[in-house]
Amino acid sequence: MANKALRFTSRAQRGSSKRYFVIDDPSWCAAALLLVLTLSSSAFFIDQTQLVYLCVVDGMLLLHGCYLRGKLMSLIKLFVVQLLVTCCLYLLMQQSDRMLEGVLAVCRLLLAAIPGWWLAMSCSPERIAEVLNWVMPVKWAFVVAASISLLPFFSREIQEIYAIQRMRGANISAKALRNPRHWPELVHCILVPLLIQLLKLAKQMANAAKLRQFDQRQKTTFWRY
Amino acid sequence: MGTSALVELKQVGLAYSSRQDAVLDGVDLALRAGECHLITGATGSGKSTLLGIIAGVVSRPITGELYTQAVVGMVMQDPQVQILRQTVGAEIAFVLENMAVEPSKMLVRVQHALRAVGLWVSLETPVDSLSLGQKYRLMLAAQLVCEPDVLLLDEPWAQLDDLGVVELSAVLKSLLARGIAIVIVEHQPQAFADFYSHCWHLHQGQLSKQASLFAVSQPKRYRPVQCAKQRQLLIEAPAFSLQFTDGNCLFKCAGLQLFSGELVTLVGSNGAGKSTLLKTLLGAQADIVQVPIKVLGKRPKLGGFGQQLMMLFQRPSRQLFETTVLQELCFSLKRFNLPLERATSMLQRLGLSHLSEHSPHTLSYGQQHLIAIASLLCLQPKILLLDDPFAGLDDDYCQQVVALLNEEQQRGCGIVLASHRALPQLQVDRQWQIQAQYLSGGQLEVDQVG
Repeated sequence: MANKALRFTSRAQRGSSKRYFVIDDPSWCAAALLLVLTLSSSAFFIDQTQLVYLCVVDGMLLLHGCYLRGKLMSLIKLFVVQLLVTCCLYLLMQQSDRMLEGVLAVCRLLLAAIPGWWLAMSCSPERIAEVLNWVMPVKWAFVVAASISLLPFFSREIQEIYAIQRMRGANISAKALRNPRHWPELVHCILVPLLIQLLKLAKQMANAAKLRQFDQRQKTTFWRY
Repeated sequence: MGTSALVELKQVGLAYSSRQDAVLDGVDLALRAGECHLITGATGSGKSTLLGIIAGVVSRPITGELYTQAVVGMVMQDPQVQILRQTVGAEIAFVLENMAVEPSKMLVRVQHALRAVGLWVSLETPVDSLSLGQKYRLMLAAQLVCEPDVLLLDEPWAQLDDLGVVELSAVLKSLLARGIAIVIVEHQPQAFADFYSHCWHLHQGQLSKQASLFAVSQPKRYRPVQCAKQRQLLIEAPAFSLQFTDGNCLFKCAGLQLFSGELVTLVGSNGAGKSTLLKTLLGAQADIVQVPIKVLGKRPKLGGFGQQLMMLFQRPSRQLFETTVLQELCFSLKRFNLPLERATSMLQRLGLSHLSEHSPHTLSYGQQHLIAIASLLCLQPKILLLDDPFAGLDDDYCQQVVALLNEEQQRGCGIVLASHRALPQLQVDRQWQIQAQYLSGGQLEVDQVG
């Protein structure tokens, strides 16, 4: 299995409950990481006239990510929220004629986020950890990989805590949040319990890793199947 | 140390601070090959801490002596928080990677561990697609793959449905026959009564040997007083299918009804769709095909019922965020313009008035659980949805929760309580049972309605 450069699986093979990572070889994973780093940093550094080329490349990654059953909704939500917040800040702190600059900045952020989203769809966290392990200590590589694999849990946790606090009467509906007076409530009701949960989770995951001999040896090997 | 003991604790003690009583105080325990030790004790009595000490994951200094010449494996309470990888094979192989086992030798060991726990899934199966019971067995496989001499299990009963417990028991019996020592801490030790060799009770830091299980945990019968039915229809739905937008159907149902003053249990195995149904009733489940359910005469919408519909989610401590217990209870009362005195009277009812100025995050698991329930009940909702409210609670806390539910039921609140097994200790009006992708018992018979 390890000698295969890329392992492609058809949609029919993947089935409804299974998801396979299309890039399974460490060398290809390293190439994907480099590509992602290049594209994401380009989003901030390249000239405005060159952005269209980046849009085309990111568009292709989006299509491929969707084919791999990635969900676009999280990206769309991120973009919309970022756009709203940025536009409000520009309205409050700058003149309205500079609004376009704000929109452009948000577009650059989105273009920087898309390659990372695609990487999460196409490479498994353990393979990313293996590649990162070439250039950083095992502990750091594990933390990066664990953080990537935590993203779905993180997203579910936000949704549930949001539902709980909405039910309890918190003024955090989309309509209520149009009023900046309610923004502190969002931080208070959602971010505080979320942070507490994440701290607890980090401790429990650290224990789970310790129970499985993590960081006991200098040398580690990697699962290849 | 006895020659055959794999692990031995002598006068082990642990305290979190000098101002607090010791969690463990002079604990003696010896584990030998092929022994199964059951440890019971109230919520917060230190059972999980004891396991943590044996497993070597407690970072605080302990007093006394701990001898070990064994490889110790431990499965913690919640399998969800122990998952470190995304596929079944990679998850089990994690420990082998850390032990620097040759990749070519991993496959056989991983497959062997998977078979040992009776989990017949592909190595590439995403961990997310497994049920909670399957995840628990996956965690067990992730420990067995490094061939431990001692296996520690933290409250497996609460995480598993009845079938899961039967399957786990079969696995544990085979491990005992292979000479592995097992320690299980559990509020419901009867579930493992047919193969334990030693039984202990942990109370006020002291571990005392029990002659039998029934000396430790007397089966309790909770008997809420039946209230007079007022027969206001709170939830109604004609026949429907509960299915996700991706086409995955959870179950079909001939119809649902919930009347005021009714206590209904929603029973089904892990992954049957209990939590999804409750969230659908609340209007908090986004990725399902629209269902023709009416709650209080309206289509469910999150936040659309004010204080009339409340739900206790799993791990209810997640909802706590205020700086004091009293503020936590007052939060929703303020938002819904209800009298704040209800918060203090609720704390009095629970006997927790002395904690009103404490931070909810410093309370024990059971106290946090009660505060979370109390913060919903002081709103006096018409409908109360509870998702596995007894998980991780000992008999005393369970009794307190039942007493609260009983009072709500008498007030006329309609209650739906989800659990992965029937609750014989709780006197309920009806049971909604999800089995073979069908929810039965959702509607009252015609003659019962009158």
